[in-house]
Amino acid sequence: MALSKDELKAAILEKAEKSPKAQLYIKDFYACDPETKPRDMKNVANDLVKEGKLMFWSSGSTTMYALKSRIKNEEGAEGI
Amino acid sequence: MAKHETPLLDQLESGPWPSFVTDLKRQAETKPECWDILGQLELSYKERITHWKHGGIVGVFGYGGGIVGRYSDLPKRFPGVEHFHTVRVAQPASKYYSSKNLRQLMDLWEKYGSGMTNFHGSTGDIILLGTRTENLEPFFWDLTHDMGQDLGGSGSNLRTPANCIGQSRCEWSCYDTEECCHSLTLKYQDEIHRPAFPYKFKFKFSGCPNDCVAAIARSDIAVIGTWRDEIRIDQAAVKEYIAGNYPSNGGAHSGRDWGKFSIEKEVVDLCPTQCMWMEGGELKIDNTECTRCMHCINVMPRALRPGVDTGASICVGAKAPILDGAQFATLIVPFMKMSADNEFEELVEFIEKVWDWWMEIGKNRERVGETMQRLGLPHFLKVMEIEPIPQHVKEPRSNPYVFWREEEVEGGFERNVEEFRARHAA
Repeated sequence: MALSKDELKAAILEKAEKSPKAQLYIKDFYACDPETKPRDMKNVANDLVKEGKLMFWSSGSTTMYALKSRIKNEEGAEGI
Repeated sequence: MAKHETPLLDQLESGPWPSFVTDLKRQAETKPECWDILGQLELSYKERITHWKHGGIVGVFGYGGGIVGRYSDLPKRFPGVEHFHTVRVAQPASKYYSSKNLRQLMDLWEKYGSGMTNFHGSTGDIILLGTRTENLEPFFWDLTHDMGQDLGGSGSNLRTPANCIGQSRCEWSCYDTEECCHSLTLKYQDEIHRPAFPYKFKFKFSGCPNDCVAAIARSDIAVIGTWRDEIRIDQAAVKEYIAGNYPSNGGAHSGRDWGKFSIEKEVVDLCPTQCMWMEGGELKIDNTECTRCMHCINVMPRALRPGVDTGASICVGAKAPILDGAQFATLIVPFMKMSADNEFEELVEFIEKVWDWWMEIGKNRERVGETMQRLGLPHFLKVMEIEPIPQHVKEPRSNPYVFWREEEVEGGFERNVEEFRARHAA
């Protein structure tokens, strides 16, 4: 059974915290719950950005997600 | 007065063509940060390495696209370009501007940015080059509240949809590209402003196969107007072209004497499927062989027009050569009726089916056309629940595409071929 929205948010945040990479693609979160459809996963990840828990990092052509605490400084992203 | 010595850039001003260096120097008189663009660029030319760092966490509240972070890696030496973010502003449909709108936009960019622009990016957006992080929110407020204009897409978002002028001015447009583009832009606001996909995704809408927005070359889903009945012919007008009373191509090539118009040389012989001929002084077309290349219609617009049973062809998978080589879109649906009455329901269903598949199967930074290429057209057609048809194959009689699935083959792929060949010699 798919995780609830709150459970999914917690799983995404845990993944963002524990992953060796500071910045993650949306697809990296799919493994948090294989039963959640990609579009629903994207909506939950974007909700976390709205809540200020995750941040977008964009190269201009691709967008990644990161915890604010794991981004070094405004421009100091790790790159892709 | 110049802040940096720029001999390499200065040399670029010596040619007979307009120079961006001259433009930047002029702009620097009122926007001193432009001196630092010149200084940093000169250094890059000298050292043969970029000094831009691109990407970052900058944006405006609630949006995950429209702003692209740019920073100098030498901020102490070139403080004017310490922050030099790009802002993508959604272009008006068909790029119809009023001079008032352009003046407002330029005033806004003089106020909050460097004044440098790029009209237009390849997606179609108005690209405003160079501003600081603290200017982004006030710029966005004025853009949206005072001008009623919005940011475009960037990153892994749906990019700003683009369309040709369509039925607003063009008699060849086979559907209302502006209505379609507007309708889908409103429907997919979330996908435009927040990342949704493994990589960028673009729609483009062209009203006829002339494809004035280059949808077939640049968009992940190209919606290109077409017709499925017959080209309309005005035989009296054909005779006027032959007599030289109407200029060919609407007079577009009238700057030079090309000699007397020849319908054989300029129309009939250039038809790619050779489906046209003259008979008894009349132009005849075998419409079943016509590939809608538009050449004859372009040459004789007063004599020939697209048919009246109109709609669009849907092609999927074009891309420019960023990661892999460039590729054109592949025809998937030869004809789809396009109607605003049902809010382009059939197209919407098609788009969302492509997204659902690509979001699950596509790799990070893989365009949908690359996913199609990796897994094969038969796989894609099966996902889309579309039966293979001859139009999916470039050359049906020589191309060895096999669309059979095992369950469709009597005895499956593991059957005893020798036993089969005993009954059916190869």
